[in-house]
Amino acid sequence: MASTTVPSRQHGSSAPSRRRRQAGRPHRNLALDHARDLRILRSPLAKAGAVLLALVYLAAPANLTDVTLFALAYAGVYAIGAIGLNLLIGFTGQVSLGHATFFGVGAYSAAYFGVQRELPLLAYLAIATGLGLLLGLVIGPFALRLRGQYLAVVTIGLVFLGGHIFSNWESVTGGGSGAPVAGADLSVGPLDFGELELGGQIYTREQSLFWLVWALVALTALVAKNITRTRPGRAMQAVRDRDLSAEVIGVQLARYKVGAFAVAGAMAALAGALYGILQGFVNADEFGGSVGLFLSITFVAMIIVGGVGTVFGSILGAVLVEYGDTFIRENNDLALLDPIIIASAGDSGVVSSGEFNGIVFGLLIVGFLLVEPRGLAALWLRLKAYFTSWPFSY
Amino acid sequence: MTKGWLRTIAVGAGLTLVAGACGGRDADDEAATDDGGDTATTAGGEGGGEGGGELEPVAGFDGTTIRLGALTPTSGRVAVIGNPLTAGNQAYFDYVNEELGGIAGQYPIELVVRDTAYAEPTAVQEYNATKDDVVMYAQILGTPIVNALVGQLTTDGVVAAPASLDSFWVREQSLLPVGGPYQIQAINALDYWVTDGGGEGDVICSLIQDDPYGEAGQEGLDFAAEELDIELGPAVTFPTGNPDFTTQISQLEGAGCEMVLLVSTPADTGAALGKAAEVGFAPQWIGQSPSWIGLLALSPLAPYLEENFLLASEGPDYGDESVPGMAELIRIQETYSEQPPDTYFNFGYLQAVAVTQVLEAAVANGDLSHEGIIEAMNGIEVFEYDGLSGDYEWGPPEDRNPPRTSTIFRVNPAAPTGLEAVEVDIESDAALAFEFEE
Amino acid sequence: MTGRAVNTATLAAIDGNDVLETFVSGIAVGCKYALVALGFVIIFKATGVINFAQASFVLVGAYLTYNVSQTWGANFYVALLAAMAAGFVLGVVLEELLLRRLIGEAPFTMIMLTIGILYVIDNVVTAVWGPDNLNLGDPWGIRTVEGGGLTVAVRDLWTMGLTAAVLAAFFLFFRYSKLGLAMRATALDQEVALAQGISARSVFMVSWGIAGAVAALAGATLAAGNVALQPGVGLIALIAFPAMILGGLESPLGAVVGGLIIGLVQQFTSLLAPEYFDWVGPSFEQVSPYLVMVVILLVRPYGLFGTKEVRRV
Repeated sequence: MASTTVPSRQHGSSAPSRRRRQAGRPHRNLALDHARDLRILRSPLAKAGAVLLALVYLAAPANLTDVTLFALAYAGVYAIGAIGLNLLIGFTGQVSLGHATFFGVGAYSAAYFGVQRELPLLAYLAIATGLGLLLGLVIGPFALRLRGQYLAVVTIGLVFLGGHIFSNWESVTGGGSGAPVAGADLSVGPLDFGELELGGQIYTREQSLFWLVWALVALTALVAKNITRTRPGRAMQAVRDRDLSAEVIGVQLARYKVGAFAVAGAMAALAGALYGILQGFVNADEFGGSVGLFLSITFVAMIIVGGVGTVFGSILGAVLVEYGDTFIRENNDLALLDPIIIASAGDSGVVSSGEFNGIVFGLLIVGFLLVEPRGLAALWLRLKAYFTSWPFSY
Repeated sequence: MTKGWLRTIAVGAGLTLVAGACGGRDADDEAATDDGGDTATTAGGEGGGEGGGELEPVAGFDGTTIRLGALTPTSGRVAVIGNPLTAGNQAYFDYVNEELGGIAGQYPIELVVRDTAYAEPTAVQEYNATKDDVVMYAQILGTPIVNALVGQLTTDGVVAAPASLDSFWVREQSLLPVGGPYQIQAINALDYWVTDGGGEGDVICSLIQDDPYGEAGQEGLDFAAEELDIELGPAVTFPTGNPDFTTQISQLEGAGCEMVLLVSTPADTGAALGKAAEVGFAPQWIGQSPSWIGLLALSPLAPYLEENFLLASEGPDYGDESVPGMAELIRIQETYSEQPPDTYFNFGYLQAVAVTQVLEAAVANGDLSHEGIIEAMNGIEVFEYDGLSGDYEWGPPEDRNPPRTSTIFRVNPAAPTGLEAVEVDIESDAALAFEFEE
Repeated sequence: MTGRAVNTATLAAIDGNDVLETFVSGIAVGCKYALVALGFVIIFKATGVINFAQASFVLVGAYLTYNVSQTWGANFYVALLAAMAAGFVLGVVLEELLLRRLIGEAPFTMIMLTIGILYVIDNVVTAVWGPDNLNLGDPWGIRTVEGGGLTVAVRDLWTMGLTAAVLAAFFLFFRYSKLGLAMRATALDQEVALAQGISARSVFMVSWGIAGAVAALAGATLAAGNVALQPGVGLIALIAFPAMILGGLESPLGAVVGGLIIGLVQQFTSLLAPEYFDWVGPSFEQVSPYLVMVVILLVRPYGLFGTKEVRRV
């Protein structure tokens, strides 16, 4: 589905550097056997990168403002959903615009099981994930009958149906008035993510939630990476590139298409539950109707901007789209933005900050598709290739 | 090794935190603010008079300027309400700054407007981004947005004036609603119609939007019908943005409805009444305040509206300078704003009046902190609006009592907002009997 | 706040006249969807892309009609023609500048490109014309025509007439004009068409142009009425999705039949649900078109009039 230029082989064998440092000894990045080829961190550099990311994760809450941390927590939530969608669209080639419904199921699970049933954090997160998985199993079979753009439009139907159920199933969803998530349990063992206390130091809600969300982003990314680098991942990519051919070589289409919907649904629902926690309150019109459709579209935009068919790219895309939006809203008085954005009544400018964000969002999609269809992840790979092969240009 | 650096980071994190702590992030810090607040209260109380000495800087107040927040859509479809409403806030605060020298004659107000685009996640983020930077919120627009935020407002102890006439806000300790809720409008509308309006014995029905706003109107109608011992006809619902009202109108027509309460927004008003006019169905329509927009009086529907439409809203005629509040509003609007006459401007103006009253009280108490605002607000006994809206009895949440008055308008294309008052400030027994629950 | 407001007990029984009125309104609403869907179809037929930006073309068309007739004072029909011409230009320019560069990419990529365009145009439109509800100033007003015991709004008659005219024009165009033939050939097989000396370039350009022009027409019929012109007008394209896909993505006739089916399903749901299947909840007419679409697609995966894709390994 997505063009074949998508980097389906990002493993070591394609690492651009083929130089030898010493005669007789292969370069450290050269994979000599299949197992090495499949490792997640294939080079010392990658290992260093992972350690660096872990350091950033631990240090960020102490060094960033609560506003930034909160925005990054939202970005993390969307990243989890985007990783799932990337498995479905980028790896399996099944276009879904129904992601908002799965997201909504997760959010309402947090509201119902977290607040009404007073279950602990891990329990309602698990239930949310499980319900998303189940819904994916129900919707998946449609992909066996419908293809491409027909499937895309049918999944829009899911958004409208979901929205209708959310706003009418009052005992569970609170109907049109919505349901609170604030008050749901936020602790794992001794750690209370509503207000972490570590070594006598109390951390704010934003700091704690940043840690919670991004730990789950890492977990989700790891699961996704493990799916994509092993047999199911190769089968999914075969389905994406040409499902008939895949079937001919023995890939069970039904299993992988439905499976991809289930996994994507589970991840979206997990993201939705976390979204509910961040919001503190959920309302049907956030996930249904045209707002829901635009939410689904936002997820797709994230993987396009980040890179279709890469796990890391999904995270980059989510951070850019979500944090970029916050950045513009928070900084509409910057010298560059001030003449454009009308910040308050009577301010000079051409568009309001919401409109400006919408335009930037659209231009980001258009720009990436035209200039770098493989997204931020490809930019990153190119940058990496430049440095690993330096001083040679290739 | 891993454990080692983990601890280092954690300790490092702690240090940075303490160093950068601000606005009640840290237990000690919070205590300090509280103490300061208390001392200031006493000082303010004793000093009395102008400003009561020097005020402690607190969140949103640097010692001179008082910062207020407004979370409102300035983009998207609901900006049609957000923009004039914010202009109303701004015009009144400009007047306070220019002519009164600010709150207590010395503290100017700055309004920090953030665009929610009427989307809950944006609103929640904007709230979190601004809550430690403002003294209170002069405006948070929209029922779903306020719903999403009210829990956090209460937890954080921050006060906000909601721009929405729902009844749920009446007993919230962190909200400062203005005006009579939708239920009151509906009750007075029915009462007016069956008494002075000449509609006694009519079949009364309703055409309501399928959401909490629609349900609020219906709740009022149901209550009034019970009080007045009237049996209601059908209540017909429709989705917002309904492409065609044929079935809804034929259901109303089929039931022989002679008066229909309309709970809608302007585009649906135009479509629904347009269909009714086309098929020649002409009951007495009575709309709730959000169903109106001035341009309806200039649409092809105007003759039908003049004949068959009334609006239940609040306040005097726009431009009726015999009402002192209205004369002042018009002067301030003309001096400080470019906003043309608009009912939402008036609403924003009323909010600013109430907020200013709270701020004056807080400054007199010498405490502009979030807790100080709540205390000052609870100490106010009544909000008065010089005839622009009924008196809102105030105090702690359980004592609050919204105005029970409504004004019935009819359509007059020559009037500035397309409306002219038929009967001002009616206060029916049924409206007085309505109770706002928790 | 609990419990639904609809009091079914007091609803009058549905009679034959109700059914007839609902039928006519279903046709009228369906024609609006059909006009939007026709714009989708012509682009899909030529380029294989579902153009999400069609929603913003509709919006631009409506506002341009308003601008030319109300702000500049031109005759309404002149304004409508001007908006159609501008819509044509907009379609051509977007195709030339943006879509051309992605020809041959996966449909998903093209869809997202059109979504990007949708965001930009929609926000530019509200920045230019503001969020207010406006009167389009159409000459149809609330006038009606009576006949056979039925009252039909002039506005609805125009919508129906325009839909029929566009459908007929499409038919004649594809059947008899050289360009139309070229478009059909290109739709059938781009490479073979190229080999016959047909310029795929001009075919793409013209199809985007026509879509823009038809969208302006759709926009004007949707925004006609009382304070009906507002930024949400384009959202109707979302309901036109089932219409277009029901008929099969590449058939103009299918778009019209699909539109009518959706219009009728919607109006009859609205008529019957409160009386006979109240349990589905209010406003079920917003969901039922999608359910009908899913059922039809499960039976016929390429729509009612669509051609089955031949798949090779």
